[in-house]
Amino acid sequence: MPGQLLDGFIRGLLYVAIALGLTIVFGMLRLVNFAHGAFYIIGAYVGLVVTEHVGLLAGIIAAPIAVALFAIAFDFALLRRFYDKEPTAQILVTFGVAIVVEETLRLIFTGTTRTYVVPAWVQGSLNLGFTQYPTYRIAFGLGVIVLVIAVWLFIQRTNYGLIVRAGVRDRTMVQLLGGNVRQASTVIFALGAALAGLVGAAASPIYSIDPGKGFEFLVPSFVVVVIGGLGSFWGAVLGGLLVGELQSLTTLFLPAASDLVIYVAMALVLLVKPSGLFGESEVIRG
Amino acid sequence: MKTTFKPNRGQFIGGGIAASAATFAGINVIAAPMKELVIGLNVPQTGSYSDQGADQLRAYALAIDEINAAGGVMGMKLKRSIGDDQTKASVATENARRMIERDGAIMITGGSSTGTAVAVSKICQEKKIIFMATLTHGDETTDESCHYHTFRRYNNAHMSARSMAQTLLTKYGTGRWFHITADYTWGHSVYDNLIEVLEPKGAKTIKNVLLPLGTTDFSSALSQAQAAKPDVLVITEFGKDMVNALNQAAQFGLTKSAKILVPLADEYMAKGTGDNFANVVTTAPFYWKYHAEKYPAAKKFVQAFIRRYGVPPSNGAENAYTDIYQWKSGIERSGSLDPAKFIAKMEGHKFTATKEPEYWRAFDHQGINSCLVMEGVPMAQRGAEYPAFAFAKVLEVHDGESVSIPQSTSKCKIETA
Repeated sequence: MPGQLLDGFIRGLLYVAIALGLTIVFGMLRLVNFAHGAFYIIGAYVGLVVTEHVGLLAGIIAAPIAVALFAIAFDFALLRRFYDKEPTAQILVTFGVAIVVEETLRLIFTGTTRTYVVPAWVQGSLNLGFTQYPTYRIAFGLGVIVLVIAVWLFIQRTNYGLIVRAGVRDRTMVQLLGGNVRQASTVIFALGAALAGLVGAAASPIYSIDPGKGFEFLVPSFVVVVIGGLGSFWGAVLGGLLVGELQSLTTLFLPAASDLVIYVAMALVLLVKPSGLFGESEVIRG
Repeated sequence: MKTTFKPNRGQFIGGGIAASAATFAGINVIAAPMKELVIGLNVPQTGSYSDQGADQLRAYALAIDEINAAGGVMGMKLKRSIGDDQTKASVATENARRMIERDGAIMITGGSSTGTAVAVSKICQEKKIIFMATLTHGDETTDESCHYHTFRRYNNAHMSARSMAQTLLTKYGTGRWFHITADYTWGHSVYDNLIEVLEPKGAKTIKNVLLPLGTTDFSSALSQAQAAKPDVLVITEFGKDMVNALNQAAQFGLTKSAKILVPLADEYMAKGTGDNFANVVTTAPFYWKYHAEKYPAAKKFVQAFIRRYGVPPSNGAENAYTDIYQWKSGIERSGSLDPAKFIAKMEGHKFTATKEPEYWRAFDHQGINSCLVMEGVPMAQRGAEYPAFAFAKVLEVHDGESVSIPQSTSKCKIETA
């Protein structure tokens, strides 16, 4: 059982990492981003190419940078026209971009499953006394904890975070006060994308990759965000950990329901508290 | 290429008027001589088994182009109608229906999952259309869910388990076995067969963790496996699911602490797992390296495949390729497109394709051909020729007849029409 709880916690941190960018972008920009999975898979492929030529750490560093640049270009070229539009329009444009990304990756890399050639230490496992657990997963989990703290500080302690949080409440007033809401919004969008790209590269030594993987990760990340409360930073953290533990424990007692359980959990949360566990955006309230 | 009939507005109205006039006038419309035969290729192009689906499509394209270049089937060219079944029975059924009703397919082929194969077999039986099931390994396809219009040449779980039994007991011993199994028809079929051959010999099953098709993270099941300290870890997963399961098992240290059994594997699963596949015991109906060295027809096929695609074929691709030629042969031998005449010529038909002589069994339409028991070799020992695909050495070759489900225990109650 302790091994199973640890597994649920680490698995939950993976969900947290995937959902974090999604919830930040929604909470701060009010943007429903269906291209989040596409950012994940671009990161995975950039990581793959760089890892094959340079090394895993270089791949993990290069992926978020490349994805952030892609997101900035996407934002300039298309997305900023949709910030003030209704969610349906946002969903359509981001979903469209996700399909274009998937098919472009299929053209470049074909649809064949790829796996990272990883250093030997990634293959090892650590004896924790109560269980033996893969070293890489432990490193990944610790990395996510650091990441969560860093992102929280960025949003709370930097001018970008301040401007965007204020901009959501009263865009005109912030602009009159000299705040560049547009630029700050782009930075936040790029940050959300970079997080997905980083997870894409960092998680790929664990999971195989193929162009369709972005959509596969999009669904659970939305489930996590909905459980936690759309736009809520700590909601995504709690939602991710909850989903991870639920899946891990279900695999112990009723493994066939391990996929189903997260949707049941989402339905129950929505029935009891339709706005999710943390309700309205905690980020905005700061 | 997806074949879609898209009439323009004028054609649609004109066709409708002509059809109505013919119907009301009581005219017997005699079809114009057919120039093309449409065949439906129903394979997964997305999802867990998409690598296997893609490779079957390559083989279909090779076979169809060869046949068309040589004059087609009874003078008619073959035309493809392609569908992505997403490894979902409902989608596979809808694809088959569309191929038959809209595109006029006279034969459906494809697979990668027993779940989809059983569903497509059912609709083909209803529509009285031939179904050449390719990559389906669960017993059901030609056992309890067998149908008159369905033929399956690929080995099944019963054959794999009987072929492996002695090797497993010799190499792995009895000991404690932990299973991770795909929770659908195929996984259940493989598990049941393994239990049937292993437990009477003393193997102890510690646990069977059934996980949904499409699982990407196996850590919870692997944590349990690690805590149980099994002698053997059986990974009854296929496609990408197996790649993730085995690679993650290696990260948990299980490839070192336990012996690994993957009851069915193909070249793409081996490619995705690389060195983690070393020493893993598995089965397959065909292995490009082995068969190309032994059989001229296999060599010709493998060389043509490599020439066209730059990589060797997987075992599913070989099955797809041979199925197209077997269907062609059946049509030509019957001299008719009538499924009943085709089936009469197929049942009991003996032939030699890319393997030793084989035949189609009459009572369940299972192809009887050999089953290979193989063992993965480390990348460093694979040589320079396509190392990612040259993944194993052949330990044993079992004659299909000796490992197949005998008629006396078969649950197949095939229709007569």
